[in-house]
Order: sequence, then C-alpha cells, then structure tokens
Amino acid sequence: MRILTLASRNVWRNWHRSLVTMLAMAFACLIMIFFSSLMEGMMQGSEHSVVAMNMGDIQIHAYGYRDDPDLYTRIEHPDQLVATLQTRGYRATSRIFGYGLLAANMASSGAHLRGVDLTHEAQVTELNRHVSSGRWLDDADPLGVVLGKKLAGTLGVELGDELVFVGQSSDGYMANELFRVRGILKSVSDGIDRMGVFMPMQTLRDLLVIPDGAHEVVLIRANRTDDLEAETAKVQALAPGLEVKNWKQLMPVVARMIDTAGVQIIIMMVIFYIAVATVVLNAMLMNVFERIHEFGIMKALGVTPWQLMGLVLAETMIMAVLAALVGLAGGWWVSNYYQLHGIDMSALAGSISYGGIAFDPVWYAAITTDALVQPVLFLLIVAALAVIYPAIKAAALRPVQAIYFR
Amino acid sequence: MRFACCFLLLLTASPCFAVEQPAEQDRTKQILNEVDDLWRGNSSYAVVTMQVKTEHYTRTMRMEGWSKGKEKTLFRVLEPLREKGTMTLKSGNNIYTYLPKTDRTIRLTSGMMMGSWMGSHLTNDDLVKEARLEEDYDATISFEGMRDGRDIIEFTLIPKPDAPVVWGRLLLTILARDYTPLTERYYDEDMALARTFTFSDMKMLGGRERPAVLRVVPADKPGEFTEFVYETLELNIPVSDAMFSLSRLKQR
Repeated sequence: MRILTLASRNVWRNWHRSLVTMLAMAFACLIMIFFSSLMEGMMQGSEHSVVAMNMGDIQIHAYGYRDDPDLYTRIEHPDQLVATLQTRGYRATSRIFGYGLLAANMASSGAHLRGVDLTHEAQVTELNRHVSSGRWLDDADPLGVVLGKKLAGTLGVELGDELVFVGQSSDGYMANELFRVRGILKSVSDGIDRMGVFMPMQTLRDLLVIPDGAHEVVLIRANRTDDLEAETAKVQALAPGLEVKNWKQLMPVVARMIDTAGVQIIIMMVIFYIAVATVVLNAMLMNVFERIHEFGIMKALGVTPWQLMGLVLAETMIMAVLAALVGLAGGWWVSNYYQLHGIDMSALAGSISYGGIAFDPVWYAAITTDALVQPVLFLLIVAALAVIYPAIKAAALRPVQAIYFR
Repeated sequence: MRFACCFLLLLTASPCFAVEQPAEQDRTKQILNEVDDLWRGNSSYAVVTMQVKTEHYTRTMRMEGWSKGKEKTLFRVLEPLREKGTMTLKSGNNIYTYLPKTDRTIRLTSGMMMGSWMGSHLTNDDLVKEARLEEDYDATISFEGMRDGRDIIEFTLIPKPDAPVVWGRLLLTILARDYTPLTERYYDEDMALARTFTFSDMKMLGGRERPAVLRVVPADKPGEFTEFVYETLELNIPVSDAMFSLSRLKQR
C-alpha cells in the first residue's frame, strides 16, 4: 500500500477541510515567527540603545578615572592604542572630557565637555546620526558644539545661539571660550542629556590645555555574536595597566534588565507555543473524528492498524509541511516589514529610559535564523505529537462500530 | 581680597550666640566683634597676591579688591597678563564673573558653588557664605588659656540645625592678647578635619598690625595650599555702590 500517494490524495480529496487545518497551522507559524523576531528585536534594540549611542561594547580608562574623573588621570598614547585595536578588527575611538560652567544669556549650568575624535567616533557610535536639530560636529567649525537635549532646555538656547564656557584648564588658569550651538541631540542617556557638550577633540585640547592623552577609549567588537567576556579579556591583554570594562560591567542595572527580559521572553514563548500546540491538536482531532466512518470501511477492507496510523501521520505531515512553508513565507514577510519600519511606541510611552539610558521608542523586529527555524521545527513536532492520539484512536477502531458511527 | 573675606568671617561670627549664660554670651559676642573690627570697615580696598600650589600646577595671581558692607565685594585680576581684567562680583547671594577674553558676564549657578574659585582651594560658596556666619552658626568659647606657649581663646562654631552649610563645625583660634586670629579649622559633617586656615606674618596694614598672610591647606592633600598675601589694605575709604553693579563690570 502506497501510503504517501494515498495520504496526498486524501488531503486533496477533502481539500476544504485540509485547507482550514493548514491555514490554522500556517497562521500559528506566521505568528510565532513574527513574535520571535519582535522579541529578538527588542533584545537587540535594548543592547543597541546602550552600546551604539555612547557606551560602546568595551571602555578603557586609566585606573581611578571612573571613580574620580580628574583631568589629569589620562591614558597615555591613546592614538597608538586605538591603532592597535583597529588592526585587531575592533572599531575604536578616544575621547577627552572636562567639566565647567556653560552660560547663555543669564542662564547657566554645569557642563560635561566631551572632546570627540570625529573620524573614529563615527565608526564606533551613532551619535552623529542622533541629532534632533542642527548638524553634527565638524572639524572645520571648531567652535560649533552639539548639546544634550535637557541642557539646551536649561540654557534656553536654540541653534546658532551663543554659549560662554568658564572652567579651569589643566595648568590652573581660567579656561574661557565662546561657542555656538551647532546641533542639539535627541535623548541619549541621562548624563549626556543634562550635561553633555560635544566638540571636536582639538578644540577641547586647546581650551583645557591637554596636549596629549585621552580620558576614555571606546570600542566595538567586530562581530556582535562574539562573546563579550572573552573579547574584554583580549582587549585587556592589548591595554596593559589600564582599566578595561565591558558595558555589562559598566551598566550592571541595564545589563540585568536585558538579561531578565530574555528570561521573560522565553516564558512568554513557552506559553505562546502551548497555545499554538492546542490549536494544531484540536484541528487534527476534529480531522480524525470526522472520518471515523471512512476509517471503519478501510479497516473492513483489510488495512492494518499500523498502516492506518501511518496514513494519518503522513496526511498530517503533508499538511504541516505545506502550512510551515506558507507560514514561513508569511512570517518572514511580516517580520521583514517591521524590521524595516518598526512599531513606533513614542505615542504610547513618550521617551523610554531605564537606568539612565534612553531607549529607542521605535520597536524594530529582528530576523534571525533562530526566529525563522524554531517556529517551523516546533510546528512540525507539535503536529506530529498532536496526531499521535487521533492516529491511535483511528488504528484501534473496531470496523463494524466505526462503519455505523454517525 | 578673599583674604578680607576670611577675616570678615571672623568678625561676622560675632553676633552668633545661643549660650546659656547672658554674661558668657555677651563676652563671646564682644570678642568676636573686636576680631571683626580688626578686619572690617564699612568699606575696604586691598591688593592681594594669591599663590596656588597643587599636585599639577603652581600659579601666582595678583588682584585688587573692593568691599562695601558685608554683601558687596569685587575682585579684579591684575596679573598674570593672560587673565588680567577677570572680575568676580559678589552681591548678596550671587556671584558674577566677568571674562575679558569673551567680554561676557556670567552668573554662577548653585551647581557651581562648590567649584573652585579661580583655581584656588576656596570655593565660590566660601565667597558667598563668608559674611553669613552669624546667620548660620552658633558660637561658644570652647577653650581659654595657654596652648603651645601662647595665651589663646578658641571658639567653636556649630551650624544651626537648618542652616544650609556643608561644614559640621568650625574651630577659630585667636590670641587672647590682641584678638589676632591664628587658625581656623573646618570640619566636615563627619567631624573630620577638612581644611585649615592659618594666619601669620604680622604687618602694618590699614593703620595697625594685622596678619598679612592667610594660608589654606586642604586636609586630604597636605602638599597643596593656597596662600593669600596682603600688599596693601585700606579701610573705611569712600567706595560708591555703583562700583558693584553688573553694568559696571563690562565698563572697566
């Protein structure tokens, strides 16, 4: 008996019922793929918000700088270090910092000056694309600075307005300069929003008389899937005598939040998949019960219980595979759409921030191999498991009763 | 000029009391008043050299300053050339800085108050609070007699419960003979010594003998200090109120 041929004919013969079953399975598969990619997108998006704006994957400081951000606690020869890191495939940049008072009109505020290496910074972070009004820094405009969002509000300045900086340079003299607002950032992190003033590195070097050294070197690993801990150890080997920390160590609260979100997602996936399994089981059960009369006749014609079981299983798997293909195509398409366009949550939540980090209010899906393959595999397994009970039921039918079953 | 302020602080400490016995209270008040009188007139003019030594730099600055009453003080940097003309105006609770390089005047916000004043070991807050000791502290005589071979009087100034101060306690030591201030110790809120002001080098200033040198040493960095040396001091000279107005800052 050619079970496969028979099974495919059976599927085709009652195409109406088969279609409904397949649609249920395909829809479940599509939803699972979409859900997985959304969750994956949330995880990646959270990490991206932390890492790509300012943090980087790994930060290098001179020992003691993070506890006491002092002008004099610097990394010697940062350019050499950055070059070494670049040759190892990391994307790295150096930064210098300073504190002082920034005033505009009669308003003033404490400011955290951030001197940025424009060529390298753009390879590491996306700050340059995070400007809400105006433009990002330019070496050709040394006195044009970019302000954090809240700082601009505190000072009441707009693009082109004048800013006076007063502080102390590293040789003890007063540092004093007039700047112009060149750009205002979107929300990045609490510290930058409230105090951040970005300027080309050379401007800050001249202003605070810091001829060499850097306060911070930030880098991004070449491949996002590389193990962060292992990479941190590798970088530490390249930067002896300096403090090397990855973002999870620097922002433990946020890292833990993202890790817990991972566990929550797994729990939600399990619940969701159980619901999908119930739908598939239900469809298959109905399918078998509807055909008890037919199975009774087959048995009466001499089909063995094992053959009958194989037949039901084969029918199910044919439908499941077809449904999985449709679901895969549909899920991919939907996920891809939201990967490109995102779901804008800003209307619901305004700006989202946690642990001092502003998160992107647009929620993008992320298609990964896992997000595509897992739902398909799961659907096939669930279909196979769900059909066991109906198949046994069919195999164990007593022909005479089954024929008269109505 | 800052120097003057520090002295002012002594004098202003005078009208602090809250001692049980009225006699004792009167005496504390009277002595602190005399210390006050030693340093404060209705107005003053002084030329002061400030030397700052820190781990990373040593710098010297010469400045002149005017004061009128307790609330108005103005400093102008004379040397070095790089900072010449920089002015600090204290008027009541506000501090304004005029910067010749950018030709702008800015008002320091509360966030900057604990920042260093002109790179020294004094904070902007010291400048504002200097004349308000009587409002913020209760004074008592905590020691009288011989110490280190000198007959001294020691005052303890405790902040009033709701006073907006960062210190836990101030100890002021003066010579019993002529009420010349010797040292002033600032303790933080954990009662650990935070910094010491030392007065020394008696010199004829403004018509009588006064300590001409004030040295501020932070307790956590004993190798660093800020030293103020008085060159001239004139008291009770005519100074116009207009001198302390914002609009005048730019015109100088």
